[in-house]
Amino acid sequence: MITLGTALAFGGAATAAGLAGVGSAIGVAIAGQAASGVVSEDPDKFGNVLVLQALPGTQGIYGLLIAFIIILNLGVIDGNVKDLTTFQGLAYLFAALPMGLGGLLSAIYQGKVAASGIYLTAKRPEETGKGIILTAMVETYAVLSLLISFIMVNGIKL
Amino acid sequence: MLVPMQKLTLYALKADRDALLLALQKDGSVMLEPEAGSKALPGSEKVSAQLDKTGQVLQFLVQNGAKNPLFPQKEAISYGNFLKETQEGRQLTEKLDTTASKIASLESEAAALRTQAESLDPWLKLDIPLEQLSFTETTRCHVGFLPEKELPEFQKAISGLLADMSLYELTQDGQAMVILAYEDADNDVKHLLKEHDFSEAVLPKRSGLAADVRKELLQEAEEKENRIARLKEETRESIPQKQQVELYYDQLNAAHDRLQNGGVETVSAFKVQGWVRKDRAQRVEQVVQGVTDAYQLTFADPEEGEIPPTVLENGRLVEPYESVVELYSLPKAGSVDPDMIMAPFHFIFFGMMMSDAGYGLVLTIMLYFALKKFKPTGFARQLALVIFFGGISTTLWGAMFGGWFGLEWHPLLFVPMNEPLKMLALCFGLGAIHLITGMLIKTKMLFREGDVMGAVCDQISWLIMFLGFFLMALVPGPIGKYLAWLGAGIIVLFGGRDRKGIISRLIGGLLTLYNISGYLSDLLSYSRIFALGLATGVIAMVINTVAQMLWSAGPVGIVAAILVLLAGHYFNIVINVLGAFVHSSRLQYIEFFGKFYEAGGRAFLPLALRTKYTDITK
Repeated sequence: MITLGTALAFGGAATAAGLAGVGSAIGVAIAGQAASGVVSEDPDKFGNVLVLQALPGTQGIYGLLIAFIIILNLGVIDGNVKDLTTFQGLAYLFAALPMGLGGLLSAIYQGKVAASGIYLTAKRPEETGKGIILTAMVETYAVLSLLISFIMVNGIKL
Repeated sequence: MLVPMQKLTLYALKADRDALLLALQKDGSVMLEPEAGSKALPGSEKVSAQLDKTGQVLQFLVQNGAKNPLFPQKEAISYGNFLKETQEGRQLTEKLDTTASKIASLESEAAALRTQAESLDPWLKLDIPLEQLSFTETTRCHVGFLPEKELPEFQKAISGLLADMSLYELTQDGQAMVILAYEDADNDVKHLLKEHDFSEAVLPKRSGLAADVRKELLQEAEEKENRIARLKEETRESIPQKQQVELYYDQLNAAHDRLQNGGVETVSAFKVQGWVRKDRAQRVEQVVQGVTDAYQLTFADPEEGEIPPTVLENGRLVEPYESVVELYSLPKAGSVDPDMIMAPFHFIFFGMMMSDAGYGLVLTIMLYFALKKFKPTGFARQLALVIFFGGISTTLWGAMFGGWFGLEWHPLLFVPMNEPLKMLALCFGLGAIHLITGMLIKTKMLFREGDVMGAVCDQISWLIMFLGFFLMALVPGPIGKYLAWLGAGIIVLFGGRDRKGIISRLIGGLLTLYNISGYLSDLLSYSRIFALGLATGVIAMVINTVAQMLWSAGPVGIVAAILVLLAGHYFNIVINVLGAFVHSSRLQYIEFFGKFYEAGGRAFLPLALRTKYTDITK
């Protein structure tokens, strides 16, 4: 029998990994479409645009990270799933929200900035570095979401 | 350090110009600058066009299967040989250029033939030869398509006229049809056709039955395609001689650079000007002397309003970090070179963001061998060295935090995942040092410019306030509080000193105090160090956990587990090197440079032998 609390905690892990993963998928796809366009004109730029395309992918990783810590704390990895009270479970769910939502939206917008960075690379390949930095600016907020989710998850005592 | 630059002006005879430019290019320390009235040398346009052509030929070779490695091995060649234009290279370039344009025209011809053949598809059952589809003395002929929905009405209408109609295939353009009309009825027929949106078919101007013509066209297209294939085969055969074309390209490129600027000239003399490093002035003079003694050469420090190019010079350990500054923007001439102070912070932050000793070792070893093997130059070498140093830093910090390929082992300091608040405090502490260093540099710059008010009121006041906050937290007693108030007081009183009137000035001062939120967000930004470190560590744990699960599933599982470990950790290293580099650079650009840096320097691009494919040995 799994308690409602445990189920809610699973919901938290799913929120973090799922939403952030969806965001990264969309972001990487947006950047990837732009990248293919540029590579069709100049295949030599593949290396440069690949780096830019990879940037919106980190949110998915951060989401996975939070989800992993939650299921680690729940004992899923070693096979003895703990029974949580409803409030403990809710706490996990809420703790995962910043990562899920922050990851989802920041990855999509980061993908858009990455796409324009890719166009910048097409016109002025020597300025790729600046395109990368501009893209990384968006990621700041995913990093902050990750941090606060982690601190909250870490603070829940079982 | 910013290297002092001098402006060079050279007068000499036109007869010596080519030799002088050649010698200066070999030396590579003068950046010539165009001035009013300076012209490119004759022949430069031709060389430019030839250079473009050679570039296209090289690309053409790559399209036909020549290798195009990321780090090409440069072919060594002596300077003497480099000066002799390669005849083979030139001939091969011309030949390949002709082949490329031949292929292009054959391709478009073949495509046109295939389109023509396709246009015959609806008419294959037509039993009149194409050339006879025209008027006779008493009849007129219309060949084309009618929209399908117009057909029934059209049929009804035309049956009342002196005309005959036969139908062929139904296509996307409509019903294919041929209409034969008696001459007298033709005007009516034309009118009717127009009314029902009839469109004329364009048939190939050939004779014979449609089916035969189609076959003939396809055959011709195939012949052309065969010729294309043969030409491509020939091209592939010349791939082994690609080096000659590459040498030719480099030679043209050198000539192109040399011919760009011939300076201002009279009938028999010329003048060029440019920039040179102050410590190289002597050497340039010797180079000129080596060519001729009929010259006048002067060096002068930059005057007011003249902006010399920026040249950075640093010790061996700091020099690679010039690439980080270059990625942002070079410092303005006459300002400060941040490399020396930035490098240790970049080094520390990079390591903390990767924070896994195992990864650090792998990275250090990988970069060491990559540097040995590929011998990158310029920007690529600097970047590789920054990551190499980053690898060392990662190893050190990994040992501090006890991270070894995602496993915990004897941390020298503490484990960030278990003590997140301690880790955050460490990040913010380093961040505060970083920010304060930036503000101190700005203070020094302001003092040097003689702006004492600015230094005291806009920089030192904040530093006093921060010191106050720091003491409030750590030292008992009111001293911290007093210092904080002192700092805040200076800011409120003098922050708005540009404004007129006491009230407006105080309001301005209070608004300046509001900048504290900016400093706070700068400081919070350093929490990314922890978050990125966390990402590396936990993803490594995930990889290990998955591998562990697979390991217990028998022999196949063990193989899979090893694969997961190798691929997973490799992926994790790559993605985190990217993250660590980008984010530790960002902390420099936004948080650190924001405090003092004056960007907008222009690059020093001397007239030199810049080769892409060859390595010139002196």
